[in-house]
Amino acid sequence: MTLLGIAWRNIRQRLLTSGLTALSLALGVALVVATLVTGRLVNRAFESGSGLGYNMIVGAKGSPLQLVLNSVYLISKPIENVSWAFYQEFLPADRRPDGVAGKYAASTQTAVPICMGDYFRGHRVVGTNAAFFGRLTRGDGRPFEFASGGNFEDEDFFGGVLGAAVAANLGLKVGDSFAPTHGADDGAVHDPFKVVGILARTDTPIDRGVFVNMEGFYLQDGHAKPLAEGETPASAPPRQSGHAPLPFNQREVTAILLETASLPGLPAELTAMGLRTAINEGRDGQAALPVAEIRQLLDLFVRPLELLLLLVTALVVLVSAIGILVSMVGSSLERSRDVAIMRALGARRSHVLATVLIEAVLLAVGGGLAGWLLGHLLVGAIGPWITTNAGVTASVFSAAPLAEALLVPFLVVLAIVAALLPAIAAYRTDVAKWLQGPG
Amino acid sequence: MSNLVIELRGVRKAFVSPGGEIVPVLDVDGFALEAAEQCALEGQSGSGKSTLLNVISGIMRPDAGSVFVGGRDIARFDEASRDRVRADTLGLVFQQFNLLPGFTALENVLVAMSFGSGRPDRRRAAELLDAVGLAHRLDHRPAELSVGQQQRVAVARALANRPRAVLADEPTASIDKAHQEQVIDLLRETCREQGAALLVVTHSSEVASIFPRRLRLEDFNRAARNAPRPA
Repeated sequence: MTLLGIAWRNIRQRLLTSGLTALSLALGVALVVATLVTGRLVNRAFESGSGLGYNMIVGAKGSPLQLVLNSVYLISKPIENVSWAFYQEFLPADRRPDGVAGKYAASTQTAVPICMGDYFRGHRVVGTNAAFFGRLTRGDGRPFEFASGGNFEDEDFFGGVLGAAVAANLGLKVGDSFAPTHGADDGAVHDPFKVVGILARTDTPIDRGVFVNMEGFYLQDGHAKPLAEGETPASAPPRQSGHAPLPFNQREVTAILLETASLPGLPAELTAMGLRTAINEGRDGQAALPVAEIRQLLDLFVRPLELLLLLVTALVVLVSAIGILVSMVGSSLERSRDVAIMRALGARRSHVLATVLIEAVLLAVGGGLAGWLLGHLLVGAIGPWITTNAGVTASVFSAAPLAEALLVPFLVVLAIVAALLPAIAAYRTDVAKWLQGPG
Repeated sequence: MSNLVIELRGVRKAFVSPGGEIVPVLDVDGFALEAAEQCALEGQSGSGKSTLLNVISGIMRPDAGSVFVGGRDIARFDEASRDRVRADTLGLVFQQFNLLPGFTALENVLVAMSFGSGRPDRRRAAELLDAVGLAHRLDHRPAELSVGQQQRVAVARALANRPRAVLADEPTASIDKAHQEQVIDLLRETCREQGAALLVVTHSSEVASIFPRRLRLEDFNRAARNAPRPA
C-alpha cells in the first residue's frame, strides 16, 4: 500500500470532516473562479466595444465617459441631444440639402447618427439609419451578419433590426411587430415597427440593442423638437415611403458615431486629434474617443474593483485553507494513535509527515477541482444575465485560462503550508505513549 | 554464526519522574531469544515489560548497553535505521490489538508490508488472513469484527514481513479466559509455521505456563526487583 493509498484511507476514515473541509474549499474556489471569469468577460466586453468601426463619438457637452457608455454600451443615460444642423456639419455636399459640404466633412469618413430615449421591454431602442449596419463593423473589424432577414432600408420608415440577445430573450422573429415605449418601459406606447432582420451574435453590447429606422423614430409622439416662436417647419425632401418625414429643424440626434478620415498630408491620428479639438472648442457639442475613455474607465474603476473582488475571494480561499488546518488539528488526537500504530509497524517519521501532507494535498486538489467545476457551473447559471447586461456570451465554457491554471497549484501550496503544523505534530508523535501504558 | 534473534547485554533504561527523580525501569545484564524459540516473560505491572519490548523493537533507545536484533546492535542505530530493522525483522502484537480503524483487515496487513523493504503483496496478506481463519473477513473493518477476530488480524499483521521474531505485549489481556488459550495457540502455531521466534509478555501465569520457556522479568531485571509493588 502506497503513502497515497494510506492518505486516501485516512480521508475516507474521517469522511464527514474531510468532506466538509473539501466543500468549504470548493465554495471558496468556486467564488474565485466565478470572479475571475466574469471579470475577464466584463473586460472583454469593454475592450471589444472600443472598436466598432468608429473612432470618435460626438454628442452634447457633458461627461465624455457618459457619452461613450450610452452610445457604445447602451448603458447609462443620454446626456442631451445635439441639433440636426450640427450633425449635418459632418456630411459631404451630396448628402446635404444646400449642396455645400459641412464644416467637418473633410475630416469625416463616415458619420452615423443615433437617437435614443425609447425602450422595448427592458432593451434600449436606438434610432439610426441603414449606414449603422452597412458601414460600421461589429468590433473585430468584420461586417455585421444577420442570423435572419437583413438590414432595414432608409425608405422603410418602420423597419427594425434586433440584436441576437433581444430576439432570443423576447422570442421575436423576422416579420413580427414591436411597439417601443417613450422614455421608459412604462412610458407612452409608440407606433409598431416591423422586424426585418435579426443580427447574428456579436458578443458585444449590440446584441442587447433594438435598432429602428430613425425616420420612423422621429415620427413618434414627443420626438419632434418644438419650434421656436415664429419658426416654420423646414420641409424635408419627399420620400418614397409615403410617410412625410419630420422637418429638419425639428430633428435632434443623441450622438454621432464618426469614422474620421485623413486630411491630405496629415496622418489619420492627427486629423482625429485636430477634429476633436475643433469640436470641443466649439459650443455645439463634444467629441470623445471611446478607446481612451474605456481605457480610463478600466484603469480607474473596473480593474481596481476586480482586484478588490479577487482579494475578497482569495481571503475566502485562505479561510478555507485554514479550515484544512483546523480539521486536521481537530482530528490530531485520533491521528496520533494511528500514527503511533504505523510507526510501531516500522513507518519512518518521514512517512507519517508525508502521509499528512499528501492528505492535505488530496483535499486541496479534490476541493479545488470541485470548486473549479462549481465556479464554471455558476458562471453558466448566471450566463444569461451576464449576456443580457454586459452583451458578452457567458457560459460554462467561459474561462480565464492563465489565472485558473494557477489556482490549483496555489491551493496545493496553501494546503501544504496549512498542513505543516499537524504534519509536524504527527512527525513528533510519541509512539510508546500512544501504544502502551507504563509497564 | 550465532543462532540468536534477540540478545540484550547490559541494557539500562531510566525515566525522569514528574518530580524530577530518576526512576530506573530496566537494568538487564543479559537476555537472549534463539531463532524459532517460544518464550513467555512474566511480570507484574510496573516491572518494565512494555519498556523492554520498546527497547527490543527500537521504539526506545536504551540509556546504556547493546540490543542485538538479527545480529545488529540497534542501540547504536539512529531512529530511521531502527524503524527499518523493526519493519523487516520484528512483528508486534499489542494488548489493544491496535488495528487501524479506517482500514479493512486486508489493508491492515498490507499497511505493515508498506514499511518493510519488500513490496506489499496482496496474495501473501490474504494467505496470512486465511491462515488465521479470516479468509471470509478480508474486506471487513475492525469495527465489523469480533474481539477475537481483531486479535487474529493483529497476528496476521505481525507476520506480514516474514519477521524473525514476534513480540506480543499482553496479547490475551483484552480477551475472556475461554478464548485466551485459543489466541496463544494461534500465535504459537502461526509463528512456528512461519519460522518466527515468539516472545510473549504477560502477567498471567496461566498463559505463561503454556510456553516451553518461562521467565520472570523480576529475575533478570534488577530495576524491577526494587520497584514498588502495586497494591
